[in-house]
Amino acid sequence: MIGTTGALVAAAALLLLLIAWTRADKALRDLPFGSEAWTSGLEEGAELEACPPEFASQIFSSGDLAYVERLDSRELERQFHHERDGVALLWVRQTSAAVQRIMRRHVEASRRSRDIDFMTEARIFLQYARLRAACALMFVGIGLAGAQGVRGVALYADQLTQRISQVAREFDAGLRAREMKDARPS
Amino acid sequence: MSAEVKLMPLQQAYDDLLNRSLSRIPSELGRLIYLASTREYNTGHYYHQGLADRFGPEAAQKALEIAHRQTFYKVSACSLEDLVEELERYLASTKEEPLECLNAWQKLEPYRIAVPADVNGTVARLFTSNLRLALAILRFRQGQNRQIR
Repeated sequence: MIGTTGALVAAAALLLLLIAWTRADKALRDLPFGSEAWTSGLEEGAELEACPPEFASQIFSSGDLAYVERLDSRELERQFHHERDGVALLWVRQTSAAVQRIMRRHVEASRRSRDIDFMTEARIFLQYARLRAACALMFVGIGLAGAQGVRGVALYADQLTQRISQVAREFDAGLRAREMKDARPS
Repeated sequence: MSAEVKLMPLQQAYDDLLNRSLSRIPSELGRLIYLASTREYNTGHYYHQGLADRFGPEAAQKALEIAHRQTFYKVSACSLEDLVEELERYLASTKEEPLECLNAWQKLEPYRIAVPADVNGTVARLFTSNLRLALAILRFRQGQNRQIR
């Protein structure tokens, strides 16, 4: 009996996940990439920078939704969710792409380095894994609960992105300084 | 932009732009539209005769470019409520029939050309998305006002 109930719950959860994923994927495909040339960089991997941190709280803010709700119009609310979820999904994609690029660069730099600190590397990798998991969670979460429903995760992901960028930058700077020192004739 | 653009003329050109031209425009959105209009469509270069005469074409171009980007980020960071107010102020300042302006903005989306080059893609998308929403809200309010009358 428990087995049947468990299987039903698991099937329902899986179905819910599938619906959320499909909705998020559809919302992302609905974005007018073709007509908005500035987003095309994402497709080609050319979009290098993560979104400025102050905009994460703006995109996932519940203040704008509260304002639209006060206007008491179903159509406006529907349009707001459609628009804002689209922007939020783009933010997730951009954050994910930016951090992948940072990690690729970091791995390349690590290969050139002679004195790798295992703990630092493990910490960066752990943060990276957390961030990727947060992005996957947000992708599904936006489909299920809208941009405002994943605000906490988004702000956490944003902090992680800043931290990874910072650590990778410091590592790069240290490596470059050592390379320059080694290149100098003794 | 060449490295010959010295910091001082650039700062002076920027201050002059802020104090003479931009301070006269009553809304942030209006300032953004004005700055975007100083950009040549074909080349993407900025041009302002008075500023170029006083500080040189390169300093003028750079000052306009910086001011455009800063104003764009400022408008994009506005809450939806503030943006609706900005839009109302801008439409009131154009001296055109507000309803006609609203129709044109919704149909033609001219605000898309107000996005500077090389800005973050997500912020650009947030900007156009918020403006679409602000226009829809203004349209909704107008409908409500008509019903009341």
